[in-house]
Amino acid sequence: MSLPVTDPIPEGDPLTLAPRSRDGLLIFGATIVAIVTFLAVFGPHIGPYNPTLTTPRVAVPPPKFTEIPSTLIGWINGTLPHAPHWMGTDASGYDVFSRVIAAPRTDLTIALAANALSLTIGVFLGLIAGYFRNWGTEVLMRVSDVMQSFPVFISAMVLVALAGRSTTNIIIALAFVYVPIYVRLTRAEVLSQTSRGFVEAARALGQPEIKIALRHVLPNSMTPALIQSSVTIGFAILLTAGLSFVGAGVRPPTPEWGLMISTGAGAIILGEWWPSVFPGIAISLTVFGFAVLGNALERRYEAAQ
Amino acid sequence: MNTPVNTPLSAPLIEVRDLQVTYRTDKVATRPVDGVSFAINPREVVGLIGDAGSGKSTTALALLGLARPPGRITGGQIRFDGRDLLTLPDTDLRDIRGRDIGIIVQNPRASLNPMLRVGRQIGFAYQAHNPATEAEARKQAVEMLRMVGINDPERRAEAFAHELSGGMAQRALIAMALSSRPKLLIADEPTSGLDVTIQAQFLDQMWQTVQETGSAILLITQELGVIANYCDRVLVLHDGRIVEDAPVRQFFDAPAHPYSQEVLGLRRSADAAAPVREGTAAPLVTLDALTKHFPLRGSDKVVQAVDKVTLTIGKGEAVGLVGESGSGKTTVGRCLLQLVPPTSGRIAFAGSDITALPPTEMRALREKMQIVFQDPFDSLNPRWTLAQILAEPLKIHAPASAAAHRTRAAEALRLVDLDPALLDRRPRGLGASTLQRVNIARALILNPEFVVLDEPTSVLAPRARTSLIGLLARLQAELGISFLFISHDLTTVRYLCQRVAVMYLGQIVEQGTVEQVFNNPRHPYSQALLSAHLFPDPTWRRVDHPVREALQGEIPSPIDVPKGCYLASRCPHAVDACRAVPQVLEPLADGRNLRCARVVKGEV
Amino acid sequence: MLLRSISRRLLIGLIQLLGLTIAVFFLIRLLPADPVSRLVGMNASEQAYAQAQAQLGLDKPVLEQLALYLGLMPGTQPGLLQGSLGISWVTNSPVTSEIAAYLPVTLELITLAFLLAFVVAVPVGMLSALNPGGRADKGVFVYSLFAGSQPEFWWGLLFVYVFFFQLGVAPAPLGRLSPMTSPPEWVTGFILIDTLIAGQPAKFVEALHHLMMPVFTLGFVLSGPIIKMVRQNMVRALQSDFVLYANCVGLPRKRVARYALRAAMAPSMTLIGILYGFMLSGAVLVESVFSLGGIGQYAIRSVLAFDYPAIQGVVLVITAISLLVYLALDLIHAAIDPRIAH
Repeated sequence: MSLPVTDPIPEGDPLTLAPRSRDGLLIFGATIVAIVTFLAVFGPHIGPYNPTLTTPRVAVPPPKFTEIPSTLIGWINGTLPHAPHWMGTDASGYDVFSRVIAAPRTDLTIALAANALSLTIGVFLGLIAGYFRNWGTEVLMRVSDVMQSFPVFISAMVLVALAGRSTTNIIIALAFVYVPIYVRLTRAEVLSQTSRGFVEAARALGQPEIKIALRHVLPNSMTPALIQSSVTIGFAILLTAGLSFVGAGVRPPTPEWGLMISTGAGAIILGEWWPSVFPGIAISLTVFGFAVLGNALERRYEAAQ
Repeated sequence: MNTPVNTPLSAPLIEVRDLQVTYRTDKVATRPVDGVSFAINPREVVGLIGDAGSGKSTTALALLGLARPPGRITGGQIRFDGRDLLTLPDTDLRDIRGRDIGIIVQNPRASLNPMLRVGRQIGFAYQAHNPATEAEARKQAVEMLRMVGINDPERRAEAFAHELSGGMAQRALIAMALSSRPKLLIADEPTSGLDVTIQAQFLDQMWQTVQETGSAILLITQELGVIANYCDRVLVLHDGRIVEDAPVRQFFDAPAHPYSQEVLGLRRSADAAAPVREGTAAPLVTLDALTKHFPLRGSDKVVQAVDKVTLTIGKGEAVGLVGESGSGKTTVGRCLLQLVPPTSGRIAFAGSDITALPPTEMRALREKMQIVFQDPFDSLNPRWTLAQILAEPLKIHAPASAAAHRTRAAEALRLVDLDPALLDRRPRGLGASTLQRVNIARALILNPEFVVLDEPTSVLAPRARTSLIGLLARLQAELGISFLFISHDLTTVRYLCQRVAVMYLGQIVEQGTVEQVFNNPRHPYSQALLSAHLFPDPTWRRVDHPVREALQGEIPSPIDVPKGCYLASRCPHAVDACRAVPQVLEPLADGRNLRCARVVKGEV
Repeated sequence: MLLRSISRRLLIGLIQLLGLTIAVFFLIRLLPADPVSRLVGMNASEQAYAQAQAQLGLDKPVLEQLALYLGLMPGTQPGLLQGSLGISWVTNSPVTSEIAAYLPVTLELITLAFLLAFVVAVPVGMLSALNPGGRADKGVFVYSLFAGSQPEFWWGLLFVYVFFFQLGVAPAPLGRLSPMTSPPEWVTGFILIDTLIAGQPAKFVEALHHLMMPVFTLGFVLSGPIIKMVRQNMVRALQSDFVLYANCVGLPRKRVARYALRAAMAPSMTLIGILYGFMLSGAVLVESVFSLGGIGQYAIRSVLAFDYPAIQGVVLVITAISLLVYLALDLIHAAIDPRIAH
């Protein structure tokens, strides 16, 4: 076994990656996030079919690789009887492609809203719990402990199923399971920032406590939570999809990736792979994109420290 | 300049030629060691001095053929025993490390394996170079611990690193480094982070142990006092090169390189004696029996940080508060400014009691009393520009237009010899010395009457320290502000202050004028502190004169303070009465106050 | 010392579980769901509705319901204090025994997945750490980020399509044994163990065959964070001051490597505990894909049927197991690293 102290000098910062590949990853992540964001805004309108209406053609497979050029030419020349189903249609006749690009509207909205909600509440409670330490904030932390020990997936499932399978309820359920993470993260950072010299210096200057908390401590304590956001958004998408997959998520025919995988799942052992595989690729790349972006941001933050 | 001045008759033990270490990070390659050449003779003690970041530690590691990743040794030769260490195969190099060249480093606790008992680690180091069974290695480890002056070595060998104090861990490292009796010991700032009295104990012990093992020493330090008292020869490292190589007396008498001259500047002006002011000034700040106890979590015991401290600071006066870490001096400063509420006692400012002032009134009063903290990096909000930082006190106490605040901020920067062009910079990227000046500027911007300086120079390199002390002296003379100067650095206190109070375990043990306390300390602790202080004077070296006032052992815990005199367990003059009877601070005929019944009665 | 800290932890855990029980109890009753109409149907008469409500005890005041559930009312049905998690509203059998039947399936699945992930992750993470920033390290890094952010249920489906439908090397995703095979006698609930106890090696192989794909799916997803953690801890350990100092005193390479390995393993324990706890409920999706009938699927069934006692039981049991796993791993951590014992 060789040890680095005597090894040749490695490229780049040893705890991270070499700058070139890191920037490459950052660009990759940012591109995916940009595309998904674009689709969240325009996706439902730019597909060839209405994502919530069936077509009469059921379980049509996507064009084979060899057929793609001719389909494309036929489509451009307008010689096809109907717009091509680039990703086929599912057992009910929905156009998979139109639904795959319409789904970010649902998935990303849920993920972003759940994250924004939990981030706001969590950072606020974390600041209070970390800065003003008394029996009240002690109780707050114990409650947060109990909340954090809930099994994440089952809690979300219970909340959504019992409250009603609506987008709003999914957002609230996800926010509920993520709040303790942000409370903990922010509180830890607030605790370390509160003991720093500039906080005591502000106190010595006669700055009131509330202003110290808001102007000095809060801005210096938010970065970890903001970085965590990228990870949380990614996992919120996974969780949303998972809820739909077990029947505790959005209702059909809402275009949502997890729901699409779920409706296609039964047919996959019969060889109809396309209704599930394409939305899966979309989730896979999206969550990976957010993870990559979050990681790149985290590295930058650590390097700046 | 690169060859030793006193060329010895015998061959040098180690000879370094044109050593280079390169760090390649994200974009740039830096070379902290860039062509270092020097030699060390057998049994010689060579000091290596230089600023933080001048490449001292990197050089030390490189002598063992090591570099912290991502650094790499990129050139030069290290001849040792007729071989070039840099071309040796790894296994041969490992044989030399620890057997022929030992090293101790500045963060001893982090350098010990936290998961193994100390004795076992020393045993492993011994076994790596000597044929020994597990039991023999263990015995040797205990023996080494005894040799480096650890009491009860059998028990300490069973301890883990986190159970040892800093001084104790440093001794464990030296036991490991010397276990195979190396020909060369590299000591990389071995006493940084240790208290003065512990530092003296440690260096004395190291010196003695090395006399027995016959090793040469390369002693790396930032302290001129350490160099003057222990070294035969001095190397000055500046910008990755050795810029001066001289015998110790020659270095202090006639430093050749401009950098050395600058470093030695303060010592010269310090010799010119501190500013003396006659007469007693009207009191501005009065502490009366100030006491602070910190409750201990999960226990009804308390940490007795400050114990009935009574002290007066006159208008325009600079009072020094000295003591080792844990003596409570920092807590006195914080209590005084009501940053932590005192447990009991009274604080008066300009004649009125401020101990129980309502928060709003206290906030208003802060305009007149300010503080500068120890760590300049930590005391400034990293997200704010210097303009915002300096405007913060103005916004609270002197509302005006942003432009007016900016003008005053620029003036404040000029006052501390900084360029107003820095106003739009953020703290990141600025040096410790610059940032500490910004801290001072912020403290002074409201024209306070009183400023607490809490170890403002302790994280600065020697050169920066010298110039900051010069600045503080100038400001005090020009602005007539009263200072409470908290420090463990006696040289600085002597230079800046008129009166001084010595603290030990939360109590003031002696208080008087700088002349009284420094030239003729009466309390056994003051005596020990002064004798342990390494004044940068090579003509009266500690190693040439046995020291009598040395203290034994470590500072007692402030949780279980002794019943009688707090110093009794370490004091060479202690008798049974000292251990039984608490001591009180009594005035002496010459105006000083003293907390030692035996000295007051004239028994000592 | 050790015993005291363990009992302290257990006590805190019990208090936490009690808090959780009460929180869940109120939470599900606060939500606007009507379990009675779910049970009797939308068109049931008012009388039938009231009868069902009384049968479920939902006509009593909420605090009385809680007291009943906790077992604080002697002379009535046994509650939590008596070790009972209540009776399922759907199946009318005790929740405790139902969970006991479903839980081993999940434990077996995730334990095997962890083993698989570990066998892959530890060497890969360490090799990656030995040359940080190198080509292999970058590849491993991207892999771990990717694997850690995947929808595991979709990968399960994909594997079914490839290995069952296309290649025919895996069994149909229809349970722990093929539908034709009678299960071994129930002893531990762990099918691999029970088949061996029953002395049925053929069934053991069949069970292993059926477990392969779900274990592989979960192991793949788990390998991401575990590799990342092993690598990071190893890099940290290799760059720590004490490893540098061990080199300074000339310890042999092997000894230094052992120092680093031990230092890297210690902090890994915490994350493993968290991941294991997370997987207890996270495995539900993979269980569904392969119809394994684990605790996750039991939870889905209970939630969709508004079966309150079952929901409460599942949440409680999963959390209790998570807390026990955390405790066990903290003990291992303390055994590796004496600083933690303090």
